Amino acid sequence: MSVDAFIAERQARWCELESMINRSRRGRLRTTSAADLERFGILFRHTSSDLAIARRDYPDASITEYLNQLCARAHPLLYRGSPVRLSTLPRTFVVEIPRRWRAAWPYMLASVGMLALGFLAGWLAVYLRPDLRASIVPASLFDQMARGQVSGGGLDYAPLAAFDIIQNNIRVALIAFAGGVLLGIPTGLALVANGWMLGSVAAAVNIGGYNLQFWSLIVPHGVIELSIIVIAGGTGLMLGDAVLRPGQLRRGDALSAAARRAVWLACGAALLLIVAGCLEAFVSPSGLPAAAKLAIGAGTGAGLYSWLLFSGRHPRAAARRGVGRAADAMMPVG
Amino acid sequence: MESAPQDTLRVRTADNVALGFATAGLGSRLAAQLVDGLAVGVLLVVAFAAIAAVAASLTGPQAPVLTALLFAGAFTAIVIGYFLVFELVSGGRTPGKNVLGLRVMSIDGSAPDVTSIVIRNVVRVIDYAFGIGIVVAFFHPLSRRLGDLAAGTVVVRERSKLSLAAAAAPPPIILRTPDPGPGIDGIERLGAPEYNALRIYLSRSGLAPEQRQRLAGQITTRLLARLDLPPSAPERMWPPELFLERLYLQLDQRLR
Repeated sequence: MSVDAFIAERQARWCELESMINRSRRGRLRTTSAADLERFGILFRHTSSDLAIARRDYPDASITEYLNQLCARAHPLLYRGSPVRLSTLPRTFVVEIPRRWRAAWPYMLASVGMLALGFLAGWLAVYLRPDLRASIVPASLFDQMARGQVSGGGLDYAPLAAFDIIQNNIRVALIAFAGGVLLGIPTGLALVANGWMLGSVAAAVNIGGYNLQFWSLIVPHGVIELSIIVIAGGTGLMLGDAVLRPGQLRRGDALSAAARRAVWLACGAALLLIVAGCLEAFVSPSGLPAAAKLAIGAGTGAGLYSWLLFSGRHPRAAARRGVGRAADAMMPVG
Repeated sequence: MESAPQDTLRVRTADNVALGFATAGLGSRLAAQLVDGLAVGVLLVVAFAAIAAVAASLTGPQAPVLTALLFAGAFTAIVIGYFLVFELVSGGRTPGKNVLGLRVMSIDGSAPDVTSIVIRNVVRVIDYAFGIGIVVAFFHPLSRRLGDLAAGTVVVRERSKLSLAAAAAPPPIILRTPDPGPGIDGIERLGAPEYNALRIYLSRSGLAPEQRQRLAGQITTRLLARLDLPPSAPERMWPPELFLERLYLQLDQRLR
């Protein structure tokens, strides 16, 4: 068939497809009728088979390029993931995030290990090298602790402090996750550095004898905060591991698969930092008795870990949510 | 005709047809970043001016704290939210990408989902650090940054709109005869490739007559060899241009 005859015979459907593409807005087709959507699919398949014919018969002709461009514009309009609905949000938090967390337990352990390593190193550094103590822990901290005030401005500035703390912690959590793409090196550094900071200060406090004051300042928010840093670090280690040991996949594919598994765990965890930040600003520096502060910390820890450990387990969670058991039994758990 | 772009992503459709997507180069991506950076700057200035206007009317001991809170909140929301929100609501185009004609797409040729957009914008913090993203994109054949690799996305160019009218081949110029003439022996040996070559030759305008003749002679020699005509065949006596035009018209009828 001559190229003119080819174009003349088929151009009507190309024009129809093109006008449907041109009416699309923001990467979406602007039609709601099922007939239109079906028509679009049919037109796309016809046009892409025309493209295949043009590739064979007229490989260097402009019409081949035109058809390729038309199909390339139509393809993402037709093929797309399922949209996010607000109605799936509860399930994400009740089922998906705890399951993902349990499935990622080796990474969470490794993450705890790195944090503990930093803590131990910081503790030992303060104990073994008294000469360096002043450069590791600022001396002003001791003065503040002697006055029973560590986190600066006090409750007047609590909203601003909360905002600042939340923002800072979320940044650390997201860097710990995103650092996974660099083999998890920034992630590991962030974990060790956080552990080091806590370990060195804790050792200095222990030497100074302010243990109760210090821990009552740390524990109310620290339980959630450290847990979230561990979770975010774990997700970063997942990414780093996917790059280092991709298995049967190509490294890029392994990375993006791991990122898809880990990202909502990291983001969901980062949201919890809002709770931790509010506790840090309002409860930790408040005048509550130390015992109450420690109890609040223990309570948040119990809540967090019972959610992570027990939520979304099969089959009680499924039955409670009214999901069919038979259908759910097909799904691998966690 | 536009030359084929070098950086092309090949995607196979469900019907196993290969589609080529032109990926955005580092230059256009940086230009888009620049435009987006300017837009973020303008948004920040506007937001800060608005907050400052509101703050002037605030009184009381909490006012400075509240003002600082508003400033910090606006800053975070604009800097973090800009790329995320625009890529989510406008089909993978930030205003900067829109100006440059770029769009985020999944590496499999589908529209990126929310998860991909979130991943590529979270990993942005790593890409911005020390310009790592620029270095990675520079060496990557499809100019993907780390965020693209983690999210399974790629930035493609979409504004090289070739219209159907421009893509349809220009009509052949028949100078000598509209008459196909007597049937050429051995024409069944020729097919679409020869027809297309003839058509391209005949549709070339602006050739000087002597050039056109010389070219016709070269093509005729080759086609005569392919036709395998006897040495005494009358077709060998025709002027090359006439021969080519008649051959084209006859092939046109055969192939139609």
